[in-house]
Amino acid sequence: MNTTDFMSIANAICPERDVVVFEGKRWTFAHLNERVNRLSQALIGLEIEHGDRIGMLQVNCNQYVEAYFAAAKLGAIFVPLNFRAKADELSYMIANAQTKILFVGSKYLAMVDTLLPQLSTVTDCVIVDADVTGRLYYEDLISSSSSDEIVSEIGDEDTTILMYTAGTTGRPKAVPLSHSGFVSYVLDNVAPADPEIEEKNLLTVPLYHVAGIQAMLAAVYGGRSLVMMKQFEVKEWLETVEREKVTRAMLVPTMLKMIIDDPGFNRYNLESLKIITYGAAPMPFEVIKKAIKKLPGVNFINAYGQTETASTITSLGPEDHIIEGTDEERYRKLKRLTSSIGKPLSDVEVKIVDEAGNPLPLLEVGEIMAKGPRIMTGYWHDEEKTAQVMTKDGWLRTGDKGWMDEAGYIYLAGRSDDMIIRGGENISPAEVEGVLYSHPKIEDAAIIGIPDAKWGQAPRAIVALKKREVATPEEIMEYCRSGLAGFKRPRSVIFVDSLPRNQMGKVLKKELREKYGEPEYKSS
Amino acid sequence: MSQLGKRYRCEECGTEMLCTKAGEEDLSCCDKEMQLQEPKPLPSSD
Repeated sequence: MNTTDFMSIANAICPERDVVVFEGKRWTFAHLNERVNRLSQALIGLEIEHGDRIGMLQVNCNQYVEAYFAAAKLGAIFVPLNFRAKADELSYMIANAQTKILFVGSKYLAMVDTLLPQLSTVTDCVIVDADVTGRLYYEDLISSSSSDEIVSEIGDEDTTILMYTAGTTGRPKAVPLSHSGFVSYVLDNVAPADPEIEEKNLLTVPLYHVAGIQAMLAAVYGGRSLVMMKQFEVKEWLETVEREKVTRAMLVPTMLKMIIDDPGFNRYNLESLKIITYGAAPMPFEVIKKAIKKLPGVNFINAYGQTETASTITSLGPEDHIIEGTDEERYRKLKRLTSSIGKPLSDVEVKIVDEAGNPLPLLEVGEIMAKGPRIMTGYWHDEEKTAQVMTKDGWLRTGDKGWMDEAGYIYLAGRSDDMIIRGGENISPAEVEGVLYSHPKIEDAAIIGIPDAKWGQAPRAIVALKKREVATPEEIMEYCRSGLAGFKRPRSVIFVDSLPRNQMGKVLKKELREKYGEPEYKSS
Repeated sequence: MSQLGKRYRCEECGTEMLCTKAGEEDLSCCDKEMQLQEPKPLPSSD
């Protein structure tokens, strides 16, 4: 089985149901199937063969979904590119993937044109959303091609997507994702299309991110309508949920915070919403607590995964978001909600290891490792980087620190690179940040390690206060004393207007260390 | 008679079938009729 079967199956069951809703237009499963066939035929005309790479540089749109399936039907490899990438990063990714055909949004055409002379593998550039004189236009390819069904040999283990990780450091790494990896996840976790059940998924996560691709494939197999937004905007999100009667959505923590804090929140009818999945960055406890209160009909799921794991590998389910029971049960559930990423999904093994790779006992912090049919076998043509993260027996080093409790729940303790060691004691930035987030004056916070002559390293808090709030470093440090072991307390505090985050809401710690990592740094 | 978009399960061997084209006959496996599964949307994380 391969991912193109998702579309064929759903098209057989609910051909007249909308599969994509975008900018006021609607495409049914039957429409999608026809347009995908036409585009596949056009790609054959452009001499695309099994294994060739097809790049996409555009914000979320209906053509993104079509282009993925058109490439997959030919056994070609789809390369979703980060539209926020700088010119040299783009050039690197397109060349590294040896991209043959490039689908480009008109907004990015001028930049791409400056790069094309150096990109010798690119044979054709197709403009997705505008008819530009002298250039190939996407809709012309569709309208001038046959809608005959394409049948090609696709191996289950064939790579279907080459995805560049949105790394916070260094060059992006290319992760080959196979048909079987997505099939394993979807068949295990998504109910197939059913004529009696209609679901609508509001997609705001970019499709160059694995969470976006996972949501797209789950929607198509599940017979769900994919309501797409170009990019997240809070008012449009609220309006869309109400208008389309959206049933599920995936959000990163910063988006959820913006939604529940929006002054117009109460004006919208969000009763259709049944599931909100969150992930990609740590969720501040105060945010999820407020969200549970303001969205009482919603089941929340915390999903944890990486590009290298082809989507979600652990999840904290809706039942873990209901804080009920005895005092002890309530305490345990609250603790889980503050930092647990839940339990591994059925097709994934997870273990916690020390620096030598030996399994650690319960409750001890080490690196989280994962194994299973969805885990990548290695980075694209990069044995050196592969050896850094993969063991010979197929375990992936996630680079995340964590620990496991008696019930098998896994808790995050931060990135391995971000751990602070003070006088031989490990300090998890995530734990200290959790305490800072609970301070009533603090909007956002991050902990970095700075060099310390006596202790080796010391924790420093970088703090953004809520509007119109005023605080002193001493006040913040004193507050942490009440909720943390003494050695974990920040030894200095720097106030900033906001924290630098990547497009998925992750704090850019490297940038913070470069800017605020000097021991003697003083706020100006 | 099989129904479009429904899942059928063999209680003997655990095989599940998803019907993508309905037919007049009942589905059978291991010499027994396969059982219709109730639709059950899962709280999948996407």
